[in-house]
Amino acid sequence: MAPKQISSRGAALSAAAWERMTVQPPSMPFEPGPPKQSAYDVLDTECEGWSTDRFTMRAASVRGDSHRWPRRSKPRQDCGRATVYERTGTLVFAVADGVSGAVHSEYGSREACRTAVETLVEQLARGGEIDLAATVQNAVGRLVELAQWRLGRQPEEAPTLKEVSDLFATTLVTGIVQPTQDGDCFVDLCRVGDSGAWVLDRSRAPYDAELYTPLFATKTGAGKKFVSNRVAALPQLPAELERVQTQLAERETLLIGTDGFGDPLGDGDGEFGAMFAEQLHTPPAPLWFAHVLDFSRETFDDDRTLLAVWPLRGQR
Amino acid sequence: MPDVKGVLLPAYVLADESGSMGPYRRELSDGLLSLCEALRAEPMIAAKLRLAVLGFSEDVQVRLAIADMRTETTVPQVIIRGVTNYGAVFNDLLYRIPADVQWLRGQGYKVHRPVVFFLSDGQPTDGNGWRTTHATLVDRAQTPAAPNIISCGIGDAKPATMIDVATSEQFAFVARPGVNIGAAISEFFAALVSSLVESGQALNSANPTLVINRPDQFTMAIDEV
Repeated sequence: MAPKQISSRGAALSAAAWERMTVQPPSMPFEPGPPKQSAYDVLDTECEGWSTDRFTMRAASVRGDSHRWPRRSKPRQDCGRATVYERTGTLVFAVADGVSGAVHSEYGSREACRTAVETLVEQLARGGEIDLAATVQNAVGRLVELAQWRLGRQPEEAPTLKEVSDLFATTLVTGIVQPTQDGDCFVDLCRVGDSGAWVLDRSRAPYDAELYTPLFATKTGAGKKFVSNRVAALPQLPAELERVQTQLAERETLLIGTDGFGDPLGDGDGEFGAMFAEQLHTPPAPLWFAHVLDFSRETFDDDRTLLAVWPLRGQR
Repeated sequence: MPDVKGVLLPAYVLADESGSMGPYRRELSDGLLSLCEALRAEPMIAAKLRLAVLGFSEDVQVRLAIADMRTETTVPQVIIRGVTNYGAVFNDLLYRIPADVQWLRGQGYKVHRPVVFFLSDGQPTDGNGWRTTHATLVDRAQTPAAPNIISCGIGDAKPATMIDVATSEQFAFVARPGVNIGAAISEFFAALVSSLVESGQALNSANPTLVINRPDQFTMAIDEV
C-alpha cells in the first residue's frame, strides 16, 4: 500500500496537536537527556490499552521532567503493569513508584509490579479470595532475591532490609477489578507508600468538588498544612496494610496512579482535575492517554504512572 | 477551587554581619552571588524553592525578601555592622516565617516545612536571652510553620551553641580548628547550594526528607561534657 500523503500544512497541524498539554503555569521546554547507560531498556514512556467485554483499560508511565533534565537525567522509576486472568475476565494490576534515593529503583518498581501481578494471577487460578498481604510479601521476597544477587551474597547471607531498600525501594498499589454476575465491577486493592487510587465520577461537571473520590488518604489535599514526602516503601511493610474494596458503577472510572499524578490532582476540583476528567470522559487512544499524562506544569516534574479502568455494562 | 500551583520549599539564609565578619565580607558576598547564580542555572529546582537572605547583627535586615530566584535580578549585599544578637534573629523568624508561609499559600502554593541556614562566627552577645524565642520558633505546637534549622559555626562560635541553635544534632556543624575562616564561608555556601539543589530534586518525588550536605572544612558539632 502506498504511504498516505500528508500536506505540509496538515503535518504542522498534526504536530501542534501533539504539543504537551499545559496546566498553567507550564514547565520550561527542553530536550531530554539520556537515562543512565545501563538503563537502556527502561523507556521514557510506555503505554498500553485494550478492552474486554466488561471493561476498557488504559495505562501509561511517563518519565518526569526532573529525570529528563539533561544535567541529571535518570531513567523513569515508575512502572505500571496489567493483565487479564482469562478464566474469569478479572483485571489484575500493579502500579509502583521507585524511591529516588534507591540506586536501582527503576528495577525495584518493575519487579514489584511483575511479582504482584503474577502472584495475583496464581491466587485467582487457585480460586477463593485473593490474599493481598501475601501478594505484597511476595513482592518484598522478589526484591530481597534481587538484592542478594546484586550484592553477590551466598544464599545463607540474606541482605538486610536497609540493603534491599537502598537498592530497590518502591511504593506499590496492586489489586484486581472483577466483573460480577450482576453487571458491576468489584475492586479490591491495597497499597504500600504514597501512590494512590481514585474513582472519577464522569457524570459530574468539571470543577465539581466531588469529581474524584480518593480511595486512600492523599498528601496534598485540602487541610494539609505542610506537605511531607516521607514515604513508607517496600521492602518495609506497614503494621497494617491499607486495603480498600469497592464497587465500580458504569459512570465511574477507576484511576490508580503514582504521586506524579496524585500531587497535581490534589482534591481534583481545579483545572488539572477538570482537564483529566474531560480527557478521560471516554477512553482515549493509548498513545493519547500517555500524551495527556505527559502534561506540563511548573514544579510537578516527577515521573507519572496512571492506570484507568472504565466498566462496560450490558455487553456480556 | 483553584489547583495547587506547586509545592515549595521556603529557604532562609541567615548571614552574620557582626563586626568580626568584617575581614570576610568579600567571601560572604561572593558566596551569596554564587548561590544566586547556581539557582538561576537550575531553573527546574529554583522553581520549587523560594529563597530569603537576612543579615543579622544587633538586628535583622532583609537583604533579599523571599523570592523566586529564576526571576530575581538583584544580588543580596551584606553590610558589616554591630554585635551578634541571636535573639533578634529568632524573634524576626518567629514572625517572618509564618507570614511568608501564609503569603505563599495565598498565592496558591502548598509548602514544605521551611528551612533556615544559620551562619555565625561568634557566640551570642545577648547571652541566653535568645533561648526562649528560639524554643517558641522551633516548637511545632506553638509555631506550626516551625522551620528546620541548620547551623554552621566559624571562628569563635562554639559547638554547644550550634547544637542548641540547630533543630537536630545532625544539622549542627563547626569549622575545623585552625581552618581559614574565609575558606570556611565559601564552603558553607557550596554546601548550601548542593543541599538546596538535592533537596529540590527530592521534592515532589517519593524520596523523603531534606538533604543536608556537610560543608568541607566543617565537622559535625559535638558538645563537650
